[in-house]
Amino acid sequence: MTDSTEPQTTQATDRARASELSVVARFIRATELDTRMLGMIGALLLIWILFDIFSGGLFLTPRNLWNLSVQTASVAVMATGMVLVIVTRNIDLSVGSILGFVGMIMAVTQAEILPGLIGFDNPFTWIIALIVGIAVGAAIGGLHGYIIAYLGVPAFIVTLGGLLVWRGAAWWVTSGRTVAPMDSTFRLMGGGPAGSIGEIASWIVGLIVCVALVAMIFNSRRQRKRFQFPLRPVWAEVFLGTLGCVLVLGAVLIANIYYWPIGIIRKQIKAGLLEGVETEIFIGHGVAIPVLVAICVAIVMTFLATRTRFGRYVFALGGNPEATDLAGINTRWVTMKIFIIMGILCAIAAAISTARLNAATNAQGTLDELLTIAAAVIGGTSLAGGVGTIAGAMIGALVMQSLQSGMVLMGLDTPLQNIVVGIVLVIAVWLDSLYRRAQH
Amino acid sequence: MRILKAALLGAVFAVSAAGSAMADGKTIGVSWSNFQEERWKTDEAAMKKAIEAAGNKYISADAQSSASKQLTDVESLISQGADALIILAQDAGAIGPAVEKASAEGIPVVGYDRLIENPEAFYITFDNKEVGRMQARAVFAAKPEGNYAFIKGSSADPNADFLFSGQMEVLKEALDSGKVKNVGEAYTDGWKPENAQKNMEQILTANDNKVDAVVASNDGTAGGVVAALSAQGLDGSVPVSGQDGDHAALNRVALGTQTVSVWKDARELGKNAAVVASVLADGTAMADVPGAVKWSGGPGGIEMNAIFLAPVPITQDKLDLVIDAGWVAKDVVCQGVAAGSVAACN
Amino acid sequence: MNTNTATQSLVDMRDVSISFGGIHAVDHASVDLFPGEVVALLGHNGAGKSTLIKILSGAYQRDGGEIHIDGQPATINNPRDAKGYGIETIYQTLALADNVDTAANLYLGRELLTPWGTLDDVAMEAKAREVMGRLNPRFQRFKEPVKALSGGQRQSVAIARAILFNARILIMDEPTAALGPEETAQVSELILQLKSEGIGIFLISHDIADVFDLADRVAVMKNGQVVGYAKTEDVDKDEVLGMIILGKCPPGAIPGPGALSS
Repeated sequence: MTDSTEPQTTQATDRARASELSVVARFIRATELDTRMLGMIGALLLIWILFDIFSGGLFLTPRNLWNLSVQTASVAVMATGMVLVIVTRNIDLSVGSILGFVGMIMAVTQAEILPGLIGFDNPFTWIIALIVGIAVGAAIGGLHGYIIAYLGVPAFIVTLGGLLVWRGAAWWVTSGRTVAPMDSTFRLMGGGPAGSIGEIASWIVGLIVCVALVAMIFNSRRQRKRFQFPLRPVWAEVFLGTLGCVLVLGAVLIANIYYWPIGIIRKQIKAGLLEGVETEIFIGHGVAIPVLVAICVAIVMTFLATRTRFGRYVFALGGNPEATDLAGINTRWVTMKIFIIMGILCAIAAAISTARLNAATNAQGTLDELLTIAAAVIGGTSLAGGVGTIAGAMIGALVMQSLQSGMVLMGLDTPLQNIVVGIVLVIAVWLDSLYRRAQH
Repeated sequence: MRILKAALLGAVFAVSAAGSAMADGKTIGVSWSNFQEERWKTDEAAMKKAIEAAGNKYISADAQSSASKQLTDVESLISQGADALIILAQDAGAIGPAVEKASAEGIPVVGYDRLIENPEAFYITFDNKEVGRMQARAVFAAKPEGNYAFIKGSSADPNADFLFSGQMEVLKEALDSGKVKNVGEAYTDGWKPENAQKNMEQILTANDNKVDAVVASNDGTAGGVVAALSAQGLDGSVPVSGQDGDHAALNRVALGTQTVSVWKDARELGKNAAVVASVLADGTAMADVPGAVKWSGGPGGIEMNAIFLAPVPITQDKLDLVIDAGWVAKDVVCQGVAAGSVAACN
Repeated sequence: MNTNTATQSLVDMRDVSISFGGIHAVDHASVDLFPGEVVALLGHNGAGKSTLIKILSGAYQRDGGEIHIDGQPATINNPRDAKGYGIETIYQTLALADNVDTAANLYLGRELLTPWGTLDDVAMEAKAREVMGRLNPRFQRFKEPVKALSGGQRQSVAIARAILFNARILIMDEPTAALGPEETAQVSELILQLKSEGIGIFLISHDIADVFDLADRVAVMKNGQVVGYAKTEDVDKDEVLGMIILGKCPPGAIPGPGALSS
C-alpha cells in the first residue's frame, strides 16, 4: 500500500554493508516494509493498549473496535482525497461544509422530493439520492478546482470561501431545519446491526481480500522476474502474505464476534423475524457497510494514486509543478480533477454521516475539515507537497478517532479531549519530520 | 403550563389596555441582531402583527451581527421617532450606551430574549433554567430510577450549563438517595448531533448498555442519542429529552423514540414583547406592566423588571398543541406513525 | 544567416519577440537549425537566449514572429505541442520531479501502460535501467526519488529523458553547468553521437569555452537582440567573445539587428 514516492529503505546501493546490519534492519530490508508506516501502526497499537488499561478493559472489546471503525469511516473517506490535495501543495478547507451541504441535498431528495414522485420507501430512493449527492459534490469540487487551476486563485482562499459559502448554502436548503428520517435502504450506509453485512458475507469478503493479496504478491514477483530485477527472498514474501491475511481475517473475526445487542434480538423476536430464546441467539454484526465503503474508497484511491497516470502526475506536480508543466502535462486539468474527486468523496462521506445519524442537520460536518487535514498529516502527508500515502491517511483518521472515543470511554470531557488531540497532532508531525531528516 | 397561561392572560389584558390607546399611533422601534437566522423572522412576524393590531407603527433595523452597527441602528430608530424600543442585543455588554441614550430621551427599552442588564431596561425571555427542569422532569416521570446519562450542550455556550443546572435541580433528590445514578455525562462540541452520537455510543459501551434514561439538552443532540440507542436496539425503551420543537424531534416524539421536546414558541415571545413595548410607549411604568416580576438573577445582580414566558414540554399526548398552533404540519409529525397509536395523529 | 540551402531547415524561428511587463526579453530574434547540426546560442546571463529557447519548447508564448518546423508553420502553445514536433529540452534547472524515482521522471507525461491502462512500472524501470546503463553505467539507485541523487546523476536523468523519445530537435540549456570534467566529456561525446544520428541541437551557454568546439555555428544574443551569426570555422573564440561582450560583429560573421552599427 505504499507508493513509489515514499522514501524506501535504502536498498541495493551498498550490499556489502548488509552483513553488518542488525537482524531487524535486515528483516525490514528483505521485506521492503515501510518503516514509517510500521511506526504509525505501532503508535496506534500503543494508544489502544493505553486506553484499554485506563478504561478498565473496555477499549479493546469487539464492540468498541467495531464502533471505532464506523465512527472513523466518514472522515477516513475524505482524508484519502485530502492526501491528493495536500500532495499537490493545495489545501481544502471546505470539505466539512461540502459534507453539510451535500448531506442536506441528499436528505431533502430522499425525504421530501422523491416520496412525492416515486412514493415512500421506494427501492430506488437511496441510489437516486446518492447519485444526486455525488453529482452535486463533483460539481462543487469541479467549481473549486476550476477557480484554483484555471483562474489562479490560491486553494486556501477558494476553499476558505467554500467553507463559508457551502455552510450558508446548507442552511438555505431548508432554512436551517433538520431533515429526518432517512430512507430505510439509505440508512444501511450508516452501519448498525442492519447496516452490516453479517458473518458469512464478512468471511467471504475477508477471503477474497486474502486471495487478492496473495495474487498481488505473486504477480509482482512474476513481473520482476520478467525483467530480471532483484527479488525479495521467498521467506519474506511468505511472511508478508501471511501477515496480511492474518490481519484481514483477524479484523473480520473481531467484527463477527460483536453480537447483535439483546434489545435488537428482542425486537426481532417480537416482530416474528427470529425464533428462540433471546439469551441464546448470537448473531454477529460482521463488517459494517460504511467501513466496507471506506475500505473500497481507500483501495480505489490507492490504485489511482500509485497505478495510474493521473496519480503519477499528482505526485510529480507536488514535487515540482514547473517541471511537470514543462514535461507537457496538463497540470491545470490534473488539479481540477483532484478537486472533483475531493467533492465526490465529500458526498460519500456525507452519505455515511447522514445515514448514520438518520438525519441531516445544518451543522453537520462543522470542523470536519480540520479532522480530515489532521488525519492526512498524521498519516505522513507533507504540507510541503509531494509526499503522502492513502493508507497512512486512513491510519491517521483511525488515530484521531481512537483518541476521541477512548477519552470519552475514560470519562474525560471535551475541552480536555481537544487539548490532547491538539498536542498529539503537533507531536506526530514533529516525529515525522525527525524521521524524514534521519532518512537523508 | 400554569405560568404560560398567566403570561397569556397578561397578554390579553395588555392587548386590551393598548387598544384603548389606539388613537395615539405610537411608533415601536425594533433593533435585530441579525436576520440570518430564520428564528428571528418568525419572531418578527408575530411582533409586527401584534404591534399593528394595537394601532401602532413598526419600524426596524438589522445590525447584521455587528455590535457597533447596532448602536447606530438604535440612534437612527430614536431619530425616526420611536416611542419604545425592543432590542435583541448582539452583544449584551456593548449595548449599554444605546440603552443609556434611549433612557436619556425617556424612551423605554425592552431587552428581547438576550439579557440587557440595565435597570432602565425591561427583560422578556423564556425561562432557560425551566427548560432544563422540564427536560429532567419528563424523563424522571418516565423512568423514576436507574442509570442516567447526560448529553450536555456545547461547553462554549453558557446556556448549556444553565440547562444542566436546571436538570440537576430536579434530579438532585433522586441522585442523593441513589435511586438515580449518573453513569456518564459529556459536553457536545458545537451542539453537533454527530458528536452527541459518538459520545452516546461510548457511554453505552462503557456501561455495557445499562443506561436507563438520557437527558439530552436539545433536539439535535437528542437525534444523535436516539441514533446511538437504535444501533443497540434501545430506542423507544430509553426515555430521551430535548428542546426546540424541531420537526424531526416532534416526529420522534410521535414515534415514541424521544420522550419530550421542550418548545419555546417564538411567536409567543414576539407577541408579548410587542404588547409590553406598546404598554410602555403609552407611559406605563415598568413595574406596572402586567405580569412583570422583579428579577436580579443576571451576572451583575441588578434588579430589573422582567417577564419570563414558560416553555411548553411537548410529550406524545401534547402533540396537538404544536399542530394546532400551526408550528408544524400534522403529516410531518405523524410520518411513519402506526395508525391509532398517537392521539394527535388520528 | 545560413547559406546552406541545400537541405530543408529543421527549425526556423523568424522575428520572434516576447516582452515581460514592457521589457523586451527577446526582440525580433531569428535563428535556424538544420538536421545534424549543432548551433550554439551564446550571450550573457539575461541576454534572452534561454527565453528565446523556451518559446521554442513551449514554456513561453511569443508575442510576435513565426516558427517553422520542416518549413511548415508550427503552432507551439505549450510543452505538449513542442514535444509533438519532436522538440526535447534539457533545462538549466533540469526540471525534474524531485520526489519520484528515475523511471517516473524519464517517462513523465509519456508513461508506459499495461493493456489494462495502468502504469507499467516494471517495463519503465527496465527501460530506465537500459538507458541509464548507457549514459551512466555505475548508476544503481533506481528506487530512490531523484532528490537523493548527486548533481551529475540528476543531469544524466534529465539528458536520458530528452533522448529517450527519439527527439529530432534537442535543446540543451547549460548542459554541463553542474558537471565535473569527466562527465562533461561524456556529454560532449553524446552530443557528437546524436549529431551523427541527424538530430539538430541547440546548445545554450554563457561560456564559449564550453561549446565552441562542439558547435557548427554560433548565434550571439545581447539585450534580447541577435548580434550576429557565424560558422565556427570562420571566426575564432576572441571574435565571438567580442560579439558577446561588445556586440561587435567580426568580418566572418553575418550581423543581426543587435549588431553595433559602426
